[in-house]
Amino acid sequence: MKSSKTIVDRIKEKRVKQLPKWYFTLKNILNWVFFSICIILGGAAFSVILLSIQQTDFDLISHLSHSSWEFALGLLPFFWIVILLTLLVLAMITVKRSKSGYKFNWTRIFGLSIGVSILLGTLFFIGGGGHQLESIFIEKVKYYDSIQKNKMRFWMRPEKGFLAGTVNTVDKKRFTLDDFYGYLWEVDISNSFVSNDLEIKKGQKVKMIGKVTGLYCFKVVEIRPWRNNYGNSFYHERGDPTK
Amino acid sequence: MVVVTKQICDQLSDKEIVKNSLANIDYFICLYYRYEKRLLHYIKRISGISNEQAEDILQDSFIKIWQNLNDFDQRMKLSSWIYRIVHNETISQWRNEKHYGKSKKVKFEENLSKHTLYEFDNKKDVDKMEFYTHEVLYLLPMKYKSVLILKFIEGMSYQEISDVLKISEGTVATRINRAKKRFLKEASENHISFNN
Repeated sequence: MKSSKTIVDRIKEKRVKQLPKWYFTLKNILNWVFFSICIILGGAAFSVILLSIQQTDFDLISHLSHSSWEFALGLLPFFWIVILLTLLVLAMITVKRSKSGYKFNWTRIFGLSIGVSILLGTLFFIGGGGHQLESIFIEKVKYYDSIQKNKMRFWMRPEKGFLAGTVNTVDKKRFTLDDFYGYLWEVDISNSFVSNDLEIKKGQKVKMIGKVTGLYCFKVVEIRPWRNNYGNSFYHERGDPTK
Repeated sequence: MVVVTKQICDQLSDKEIVKNSLANIDYFICLYYRYEKRLLHYIKRISGISNEQAEDILQDSFIKIWQNLNDFDQRMKLSSWIYRIVHNETISQWRNEKHYGKSKKVKFEENLSKHTLYEFDNKKDVDKMEFYTHEVLYLLPMKYKSVLILKFIEGMSYQEISDVLKISEGTVATRINRAKKRFLKEASENHISFNN
């Protein structure tokens, strides 16, 4: 039988220690630090996704006879999307497990996490963070599938009507092209749509939509500059993935 | 050493008790004086265990309350925070008991005749009714039983229930609605009727 008085006696007898205030404060701070790290890294991942979107010619979808889904899926940076989603889930769980996280429903927490990540990611992207992160991964992570590699793989499918490479010799409506795998192509650009910002000259990197008309012969429907947006210094320092 | 009597405790607010307890453990008895009865009833209501077991749970809960007193957030009601710890401790021990098959919960059929007709007060809403029988509650899953007891027996607001169960107020509202439906279904299946 226990009387109400025994509770204090029991605490004293058992020498039950109170957990100090700093312990709870630290726990709370660490929780929010972890959340912030997840959100910042999520933002960084989003900046690379933005970089990937910038590299993608979405307006080509309307020109394509191929499936739009195939086009979009072919260029989606799945690695970064998975990273972003993982970090978002971690951030959401962290908020939910925080002291007053139970007050917010999952939709609100998701909205907050994705909103902050998008905002930070956009700022990182504007500040060149996406390029930086991508370049670090190219340099440090052995099997990293860079946006450029992904893009190159997408455009190096002549049988599907996509071809890219470097212009070699130019002769009016025809030129020779060294594709990114080193094969030499005879390219016919008569009656094709040439992008306004493209000057076809030796050394120019281009990407094309058209069809194979013979052995290493390609008839162009539309031609655009390759446009890597990484700047020359980037490749000078780290090497061009298309080479 | 300060002799803290019930009379002294009665003059203190919850927050003053916490403040004094942090400085002098003897004041901690005030929380026990203030909440003992309510909490004992609550433990028995949600778990259906004996008085002796409920007292053990209450003692263990108060040790946890003491250990974590520095974690009490002054923005919330102390009662909600205490109920949360007691609720979690009860659930934890109740699960262990259930796991080892030692539950002393009395089955509905054992306690009441299947043909007994319980008639509740004639009021507009179920949420305004007194729950004269706890046996129906025992038939409900813990998550429904908890919200109904906290809302209709303990008389807590949605915000307080949210603080006790650590779920959002929206979830509290949804859960209460579902619990009421389930309560009526169980009552009906067990031949308990409500006069509307």
